[in-house]
Amino acid sequence: METILKLQAVRKSYTKAQRSVEALRGIDLIIEKGEFLAIVGPSGSGKTTLLNIVGCLDLPTSGSVLYDGRELGRMTEAELSIYRKENISFIFQSYNLIPVLTVQENVELPMVIERRFSHSEMRRRACEIIEAVGLGQMADRFPRELSGGQEQRVAIARALVKNPIVVLADEPTANLDSRTAEEIMSLMETMNRERHTTFIFSTHDAMVQRHARRVIVLHDGLVSEDRKEAA
Amino acid sequence: MNTIIRIALRNVVRHKRRALITAITMMVGIGFFIALDSLYNGLDRLSVDDVINFRDSSVKIFSAAYDADRESYPLDKGIPDAAALRAWLKQDKRVVAVTPRAQFLAQAGNNRDTTYVIGNVIDAASDAQVFSLKKALIGGYFTQQAGSDRQIIVGKDLAAKLGLKVGDTVVLAATTRYEAQNADDFTIIGLLSTSDPTLNNSSVFITYDAANDFLDLGGLVTEMDVRLQSRTNLSAVLADSAAVAAATKSSFPALAPYSFQDLNKGILTVLKQKRIWGYVMMLFLLLIAAVGIVNTVLMSVYERVREVGVLKALGFRGSEVIRMFILEGFFVGCLGSFLGAALGTLINLYSIYVGFSLASLGDVGSGFVFWGTLRGEWNPGSIVFAVVFGLIIALIAAYIPARSAARMTAMAALRFV
Repeated sequence: METILKLQAVRKSYTKAQRSVEALRGIDLIIEKGEFLAIVGPSGSGKTTLLNIVGCLDLPTSGSVLYDGRELGRMTEAELSIYRKENISFIFQSYNLIPVLTVQENVELPMVIERRFSHSEMRRRACEIIEAVGLGQMADRFPRELSGGQEQRVAIARALVKNPIVVLADEPTANLDSRTAEEIMSLMETMNRERHTTFIFSTHDAMVQRHARRVIVLHDGLVSEDRKEAA
Repeated sequence: MNTIIRIALRNVVRHKRRALITAITMMVGIGFFIALDSLYNGLDRLSVDDVINFRDSSVKIFSAAYDADRESYPLDKGIPDAAALRAWLKQDKRVVAVTPRAQFLAQAGNNRDTTYVIGNVIDAASDAQVFSLKKALIGGYFTQQAGSDRQIIVGKDLAAKLGLKVGDTVVLAATTRYEAQNADDFTIIGLLSTSDPTLNNSSVFITYDAANDFLDLGGLVTEMDVRLQSRTNLSAVLADSAAVAAATKSSFPALAPYSFQDLNKGILTVLKQKRIWGYVMMLFLLLIAAVGIVNTVLMSVYERVREVGVLKALGFRGSEVIRMFILEGFFVGCLGSFLGAALGTLINLYSIYVGFSLASLGDVGSGFVFWGTLRGEWNPGSIVFAVVFGLIIALIAAYIPARSAARMTAMAALRFV
């Protein structure tokens, strides 16, 4: 397997209410291409912080994050932005769709920002992925016209439309009922299998953990367990 | 359509009530700026027109010799060939009417008290075409039948000082053209009430027919007054006045022609200073509109900080975030500016073509009786200025909150509650 992300002795501390809080206390982790990985743990264990660091939304206080052998901590803000744009996509807990754009436009947005695709190519790719997440009939709708599950499907479509190397999902099913959550996880699994996209998601939902092929358990900012599940 | 433009435009539409309230604030600020500027111009014009209509006409011409000794009102230094000058002036397309006048010093009395006055000898028919004395009269004007009858128009305050009214007799004493003393009774046919205190306090008017007899004037013309065609804007009025005065000087070097601005430098300076303060006050109106825009964009930014975080996480650059919010401010600014221009134009249409009657103000107590109509003036420059200023203010007002949004990291924006 090909290693795409390597975390070495990653620490992260915050100052909260004039108190220093250590969210991550020395994480060593190797993530390989095509993994379907769940980061689990109780609230405050550092799941979201770890996801943010892997996704270059945040930088570690110490330690290093290597992507394809390149140290992310040495990149400038502009380089990080390009790295993010070209390699990583995000799925947020609260979907975070742009409310004034239609489903089609929301899904096209990452490609518009990247400026790498022609208009027709953007349209083709967006239609294809919207169809794949089961929203073919809803491309012209605005987010306010969708259910929570449908919004999360759009967020998944938006995350996958430009074939990123890594998709980071922070509690992707937290706001969904169990049936919709199951559907969303199945959809992400299908995308992982068909497109070999690496999925890293944080969760404390047991059902979500069952879908993962690797589970990393965080406790007080440290990896307390790293287990591979049977495929 | 560009995605940034689309997001900005749709956000304006999405928050249409807020955008509309801001646009209306701007509309009021810009609309009233345009309307007030027009009325300010109209007020300036009213002041200038008053001076033209009652005292100085559009162009005033003396002989050079008279001009050098003007303070003593000499009756031996008139314009040599007044008829030729009058004929020449009438050939100019800008000239509407020309009238001769002669001024003399006199004493007016009521058999008990006397006071010094400036006498004005006028040709009643042509004078009425150049000056507007008739409009400011209480009583009547000279009739053609009057001939050499001793009739007189007296300043309203002068009459009050002497305890005289229309129909009473005033005794006028003066030195004739040939240095003889003469005095005679004149019947008051009208009292002059203008905005010029000098005219009201110390001026009397008699006709050439009466003066030729009373002062041995022999048709002497000490000044020629010229009425130029009506122009919409003050700048055009002043330009015409300067041009006709210059042309007269060039054709008649022995004469001393004065344009309006030559005779009224003080008035024009005061009007200019008044205008500067007027602009300062009007700019406050526009700043109120600016506060509206800042408020709208600030609310928009704070509502959408998480959205900014998402966009940045997707790869949006800070400059693109700024552009998105600036465009929102620009769209609201466009709406407000153009609505403001429309409102200002509508008010201007009313003030220019209908106007506001000043007659209802009546006598305000200082002896100055308002009359006529206050009309606005078109000033395309101020409309363009107000619209451009509104747009610039909108862009600046939008930039400040947009910049603070753009400076946030994706992480900080996503964590924003």
